[in-house]
Amino acid sequence: MSLYLHFIYSFLATIGFCIFFNVQKKDLLYASLTGSIGWTLYIYMNNITNSASLSSFIAATVIGLLGEMFARVNRKPVTVFIIPGIVPLVPGYGMYLTMLDIINNDFYSAAKTGSDTIFIAGSIAIGVVLVSSTAKMFKRRNKKNSSNATH
Amino acid sequence: MTITQKKGILRIALYAGEIMLKNGAEIYRVEDTIIRICMSKSINHVNAFVTPTGIFVSDDRMDGISFIKRIKNRSLNLDKVSMVNNFSRDYVNSNMTVPQALSALKKIENADKYSFPVRIFFTGVIGGFFSLMFGGEFLDFISAFIISMVSIFIADEIDKISDTSFLSTIVASSTIGLLGILFTLFGIGKSLDMIIVGSIMPLVPGVSFTNGLRDFISGDLIGGLAKIFEAIFIAICIAVGIGIVFQLWVNWFGGAF
Repeated sequence: MSLYLHFIYSFLATIGFCIFFNVQKKDLLYASLTGSIGWTLYIYMNNITNSASLSSFIAATVIGLLGEMFARVNRKPVTVFIIPGIVPLVPGYGMYLTMLDIINNDFYSAAKTGSDTIFIAGSIAIGVVLVSSTAKMFKRRNKKNSSNATH
Repeated sequence: MTITQKKGILRIALYAGEIMLKNGAEIYRVEDTIIRICMSKSINHVNAFVTPTGIFVSDDRMDGISFIKRIKNRSLNLDKVSMVNNFSRDYVNSNMTVPQALSALKKIENADKYSFPVRIFFTGVIGGFFSLMFGGEFLDFISAFIISMVSIFIADEIDKISDTSFLSTIVASSTIGLLGILFTLFGIGKSLDMIIVGSIMPLVPGVSFTNGLRDFISGDLIGGLAKIFEAIFIAICIAVGIGIVFQLWVNWFGGAF
């Protein structure tokens, strides 16, 4: 499937999730853009590198950056953009498959899908936390600089 | 500052934190908001300890006033999180009285959601487009669209009566399994896997799993672990719900599809 189709589908799916999570009407466009850009980047990187956790990490970092940017523009908390943004990436289906394998006594397959799921979720979490803690660090340094300037 | 004033401010901080936590804010954001509200009214030695099931706020230096709030149900409502965030920004920079602030918070707590038909329709959109994203075809799109609407409707109705969410998850996912089998049997959908992928998307706990890991990495160990295990149990419920239907189908009808 071509990338622009992925973009359109993930954009619409993220809009669905935004309504599900009660994102306000005027933030719908930005939140869905975050989600669809993240997913398209993930697909693109996955085609090149063939590593799901590396591509999720990169996509999550970009989602974090976009979220910080849109949060500054709209004066909203970052969560409003990051949660809809990571929704297409998070391995909910992988968690379900792992549990289904365990129920069906297929422990080898459960270990494989389960560790994949944990690695993907972990790399998304690390990507998002990396951006947000860096942003916090810069914010603190800017505050210190400006207070030094005034005193 | 008199003790009544101080209690009032702590109560505002606790209420703001409660609304944020109930609607899916991160642990550190809740703690940050509580401490910022207290600091702005010069209560400096306040400690906030937030877990997904309860908030503890206490002053450890002066007189040891402390408040505990038990949180029973959590969902995701990002609009309320952002409204409380704006409220705390306003409150810090103004001299709102305690009753004014409490009524503003109450207004936020009772704020409108999207109407029920809109939410159900967009749940269908989630299901349909996720099945396309994972490689489904047009017929799979239609059946995932219908099945996810039905399953969320059932889950909502059960949530109104029951007080634990696992029952509604199991029933909704067995509905997905059953309808998925029926739809493929009658030729409305093409591939059962693609229909199931799309339809379970509104139920699966991927976001809470990732958020739990995020909290864990940021240093909120108890809150993070609690969220991760909640997510694992939801995943188990979904797998049980669908697994029961599949096993029965295979054993009774020979799995003819």
